[in-house]
Amino acid sequence: MKNNIIILGGGQAGIYAAREIRQNDSKSNIKIIGEENLLPYERPPLSKDFLLDKKNEEDLYFHSSDVLKNENIEFENVSISKVDFENKKLFADNDDVYSYDSLLISTGSENKKLSLDNNLKNDVYYLRNLEEAKKIKEIVSNKNKITIIGGGFIGLEIASSLSQLQKKVIVIEIGNQLMGRIIPKQIADLVQNTHLEHGNEIILNKQIEKITKKNGIYEILLNDNSLIKTDFLIAGIGSTPAVKLFENTNLKLDNGILTNQFCETSIKDVYAAGDVSNFYHPLYERNMRLESYQHAQNHGICAGKNIAGVKTEYTSIPWMWSDQFNLNLQLTGICNDYDEIIERGNDINSGVIYFFLKNKIIRGACGLGIAGKIGRDIRITSKLSEKNTIVDKQILSDQNQKLNKLIQK
Amino acid sequence: MYLFSKNRYYIQFMSEENWIEVGSTDSIEEEDLIRFDHQDKTFCVYKLTDGFYATDGICTHEAVHLEDGLVMDDEIECPMHQGIFNIKSGEALSPPACEDLKTYPVKVDNDKIFIKID
Ligand SMILES: Cc1cc2nc3c(=O)[nH]c(=O)nc-3n(C[C@H](O)[C@H](O)[C@H](O)COP(=O)(O)OP(=O)(O)OC[C@H]3O[C@@H](n4cnc5c(N)ncnc54)[C@H](O)[C@@H]3O)c2cc1C
Ligand code: FES
Repeated sequence: MKNNIIILGGGQAGIYAAREIRQNDSKSNIKIIGEENLLPYERPPLSKDFLLDKKNEEDLYFHSSDVLKNENIEFENVSISKVDFENKKLFADNDDVYSYDSLLISTGSENKKLSLDNNLKNDVYYLRNLEEAKKIKEIVSNKNKITIIGGGFIGLEIASSLSQLQKKVIVIEIGNQLMGRIIPKQIADLVQNTHLEHGNEIILNKQIEKITKKNGIYEILLNDNSLIKTDFLIAGIGSTPAVKLFENTNLKLDNGILTNQFCETSIKDVYAAGDVSNFYHPLYERNMRLESYQHAQNHGICAGKNIAGVKTEYTSIPWMWSDQFNLNLQLTGICNDYDEIIERGNDINSGVIYFFLKNKIIRGACGLGIAGKIGRDIRITSKLSEKNTIVDKQILSDQNQKLNKLIQK
Repeated sequence: MYLFSKNRYYIQFMSEENWIEVGSTDSIEEEDLIRFDHQDKTFCVYKLTDGFYATDGICTHEAVHLEDGLVMDDEIECPMHQGIFNIKSGEALSPPACEDLKTYPVKVDNDKIFIKID
């Protein structure tokens, strides 16, 4: 049967879903609708190698237009402003109407914005897409002292890149540690030391009271009355799922679009994947929303299978990375629900990992090391937690013993 | 004299076949790899269930040593961003790796592993 399948949101989850549908269904029409006038591209380099000029725009695309043409996947650049789930229709800004039989929502997430006086609204920059990355790159080239508001992943990655471009960087974080939303303090402190060693200034536990602009210089007043002067402001204060479009519809929302383990939403024939979805994870027996590269890819693929009629449960173990300076940070599983912590290694040159166990079973791990040093152990941890393996703690804590031996074949 | 003959042997060895000795077959555990540096290049040499294989030692995505990666069946997974390559063909199987990894012929002679570098 020939179906009209629409994928709303042309990012990572969207493109992987489209290609997976095509692998399983050669007949249906597949259309990706995206508001960015760009084929789906990778976002991780935007805060890292793109700012550093190690990667350019052409390096970011997942696939060329030829791949999409060969697989008969249409890409249309338009912004959708209204959805009618009852009649299965999408309405675009330009009044075009699109009808679907199945819909995948993969609209990603949006950056939270600071509440600022109107006259400063355009002075603070955010980073989510290529256009913003280009703007930031262009402007920072003639700025010296740059302040980043928010000590999360994106803010710190920008701080690392700008420091490598010889800029003076200040990071202001409201919490008492960096990356506090998901990274354990032990690892966050090691990351902080690396920023300090490279000359970045990190200010924790401080709130911004007021920002003013005088002669092209910004003055940031903090709640301890200290004043910071800076040439340029970038904010990375977290993100929210891109669900505004669905707020007055029947689609069930709660920190994103609620989906079950098959990527199905509360409305028949409507699926969601990637950053925008708050999905049920059967292994953890709870819902979660993830903003990560690997998840966007795997969740997109899983949604694609289900849309094509191949019923598939999503059971991927969460995994994400962040690269700052020459360090690679990785997190797998969940690190906030544990009754025991085990440390492996104590030097970032050979890698440091904290394992989080509950009832003797590894639930998650977070590690930091010079590029590549912790990857294998983190990956093995994912496999162990997936199988609920009871592990030998002595092996976990001894860096001289390979973890490969813990994997049961 | 000794030096001279050793050098000559080396040159002959390189030009005729370009087979370079990596080490003994028991230096690698099964389903594992070792790193091998030769001149200014780095290689990975693997022992899989059906024999020995060799690839470039640096990921095609970023300059990261694959020696720290995980070998699973016929695949090597990069330790940095989990890009995956087929060890036998070098094919990039999973993003962010998209460029294939170069592979090299391997032979075993008298319990010693050799790789052929072009
Ligand atoms: C700067 C940056 C660095 C990152 N670094 C890392 C990293 O190092 N490691 C890691 O694991 N993850 C990283 N991530 C996270 C990762 O990139 C995201 O999790 C991933 O892109 C999510 O994919 P997605 O398909 O869900 O959404 P997205 O890739 O964001 O795609 C959503 C698309 O939908 C479009 N859209 C939204 N609404 C509409 C509409 N109404 N009409 C039409 N189109 C619409 C958007 O414009 C967008 O193009 C980073 C993200 C950013 C922004
Ligand atoms: S460096 Fe190997 S996948 Fe990125």
